[in-house]
Amino acid sequence: MSIASLSRRTLFQAGAALLASTALPRFARAQNAPSGGRLIVAADSEPKNLNPAIVASNGVFFIASKVVEPLAEASFESKDGLSPRLATSWEGSADGRSVTFKLREGVKWHDGKPFTSADVAFSALNIWKPLQNLGRLVFANLETVDTPDEATAIFRFSKPTPVQLIRNALPVVSSVVPKHVYEGTDIATNPANTKLIGTGPFKFAEYKPGEYYRLTKNENYWSEGEPKLDEVIFRVLPDRAGAGAALEAEEIQLAAFSAVPLTDLDRISKVPGIKIISEGYEALTYQLVVEINHRRKELSDIKVRQAIAHAINRKFVVDTIFLGYAAASTGPVPKNAPEFYDADVPTYDFDVAKANALLDEAGYSKGANGTRFSLKLRPAPYFNETRQFGDYLRQALAAIGIDAQLFNADSAAHQKAVYTDHDFDLAVAPPVFRGDPAISTTILVQSGIPAGVPFSNQGGYGSKELDGIIAKAAETVDTPARTELYKQFQRIVAADLPLINVAEWGFITVARDTVLNVSNNPRWAVSNWADTALHS
Amino acid sequence: MKFIRNLIRTPEGTVGLCILAILALIAILAPVLSPGDPLHIAGRALLPPFSDPSFPLGTDRLGRDVMAGIIHGTRTSLLVGIAAALAAITIGLCVGLTAGFAGGLIDEALMRLVDAFQIVPGFLLALAFVSVVGASVPIVVLAIALGAWPNPARLTRVQVLSIKERDYVASARVIGMHPVEIALKEILPNALPPVLALSAIIVAAAILTEAALSFLGLGDPNTVTWGSMIAEGRNILRSSPFLSVFPGIALVITVVGVYLFSEGLTKALAGRRI
Repeated sequence: MSIASLSRRTLFQAGAALLASTALPRFARAQNAPSGGRLIVAADSEPKNLNPAIVASNGVFFIASKVVEPLAEASFESKDGLSPRLATSWEGSADGRSVTFKLREGVKWHDGKPFTSADVAFSALNIWKPLQNLGRLVFANLETVDTPDEATAIFRFSKPTPVQLIRNALPVVSSVVPKHVYEGTDIATNPANTKLIGTGPFKFAEYKPGEYYRLTKNENYWSEGEPKLDEVIFRVLPDRAGAGAALEAEEIQLAAFSAVPLTDLDRISKVPGIKIISEGYEALTYQLVVEINHRRKELSDIKVRQAIAHAINRKFVVDTIFLGYAAASTGPVPKNAPEFYDADVPTYDFDVAKANALLDEAGYSKGANGTRFSLKLRPAPYFNETRQFGDYLRQALAAIGIDAQLFNADSAAHQKAVYTDHDFDLAVAPPVFRGDPAISTTILVQSGIPAGVPFSNQGGYGSKELDGIIAKAAETVDTPARTELYKQFQRIVAADLPLINVAEWGFITVARDTVLNVSNNPRWAVSNWADTALHS
Repeated sequence: MKFIRNLIRTPEGTVGLCILAILALIAILAPVLSPGDPLHIAGRALLPPFSDPSFPLGTDRLGRDVMAGIIHGTRTSLLVGIAAALAAITIGLCVGLTAGFAGGLIDEALMRLVDAFQIVPGFLLALAFVSVVGASVPIVVLAIALGAWPNPARLTRVQVLSIKERDYVASARVIGMHPVEIALKEILPNALPPVLALSAIIVAAAILTEAALSFLGLGDPNTVTWGSMIAEGRNILRSSPFLSVFPGIALVITVVGVYLFSEGLTKALAGRRI
């Protein structure tokens, strides 16, 4: 363009743009974050049932939590670690038999109908308690939900239920769905399970299988000035290697849940305009666990289990497999659950000589070919890291004379082999710690769980002492007493090794610099993103 | 001897034979060249190639020696390739011989069976078979053979159909030889050469199929294969491309070697007939 052809108009436009760009602060925070824009996010799975009230899993929450809201969400700074969503306050009775929720008023469903306590009562009694994977445990003793007025719901329990558990479980188990849509229908097959109707900051607009989910702004959202974004698109990118390239090409602006492989982070962190965030997963801690089949004679011997625990170099696992984005575990409760965590438990440092000595003591001496016995090792296929740890564990066991044969399978076959058929000696599993040991952690060691329940104790382990503590904690209303019981629980699990906790990790979010207010709560990736904004 | 001289006389045959001989030597000497388990974690993770003399080709994500993986991978690749080709040729020969020699209804039935297997892409068949039965080296061999036997079967049948009308077969029949004896002694040896020429192609295809299965995570996880090495390296292709490139080069060399050998073989066989 020659100077002569520069019109006054173009000059004016350029000047205005320059003025605007300097006037806007580079990092606007929550209140003054800019509105508008379309956020495109990488999604790696397309859940068949998208209803978070039925399927309380991170894969579902990742998309559905923007549409369907829980009573309360996890928070870094608020009291009890919770910030109010559809409930504004919650109060447990002294005898543990009721919890009273005050609900937010003036909230409307996406179809325009008002949100009331009847919706909460319906969701709790007809969905969370009978149908939801986690609600079944948390609300096992829920009898009725009283609704004295439209803004109050009183949960009544047949047995004392610790308010600590309810509180910790709220963000995960309490997604409220509309009664008027589900009542009188077959809940499991209701079309609203895929075309969600909620109260959240975004409405469910469209789903193209294999391509994308589209959510649009809820203009009538109860929180003034939110959501900031006009649209959120979840682009289905099943190939993990593709997310990094898509971010660089600015086809997507955000990839959560370590969609960009850990090994690629070092390189991508050097790309200008891209930031790497390891916060925002504190309440979604995954644990790397070696599940043990105690039906195997060798493994029912505590010395053999201790030997295996000593053979694992946790530092190698953290530094090489997780590239430092993890922490070594001491027991079944992760460090970032400070309410429960107890560091004072038996630990197993990496010591091959000691492991060999323990195995000799147990009476399994090395044969002529240097091996003591063979084991069948099944690493869970869900994460690269679980598979790599399987490869590592095979080598670590070879060093102490145990020949572990790896068996790879897809998710369905793996779950059937381990949790239904018990066709394993050792398995690598990534269970999730969800804020309270009673939600999904005690089930990993509790006895008497029928075969076929995934992510539970299917190794044939049984300890009266441990079962007693778990049962007692389930009915202990007093918070300090209950916490103390779980500290005992950790000590016994670490000493008796029904399973071996190796490491714990959160995920990594990679985003373009233009995305604001990322990772500002401990469940950010699966929270509602009402304040997330785009810098234009 | 003359045959081998013929083979060496063709440039393709010479080069192919050399490559294959070297590979076979590496495969046989693998435990000497790189003792111990190739999946053993030997050093620091992700050492770049040509930087540490004890790991000439570097190390992978967990610190396993890439060189050891390639050496032991030669074993798996050649073993699977040759075993699968042997199995496919054996099945193919039996079916083709029976169909061609027996004729009639048996021929019809067997050939429709061949058709049924031939219309399913061999790779998909192997994929389905391995994911149902489970991954181990014998299963992978069987899975590949399952998709590869129809071609030798058809070729054998055509050969048999033509040979069984020859005069010497007719005279064998006249002197009262048992049909099975005729099939095995008179027909089979003469039907064999073109099928053998096909075998090299089957070996090459089997090596590639095995690599593809391992790449998709359907190989035996307890043995090192080039396919699984490429798959492992794929996640860090941008930062450490050598992890995929080296096993890829090994794969290319092997397959090219086998193809050249098969070219030479075909020419040598043609030369013999003239």
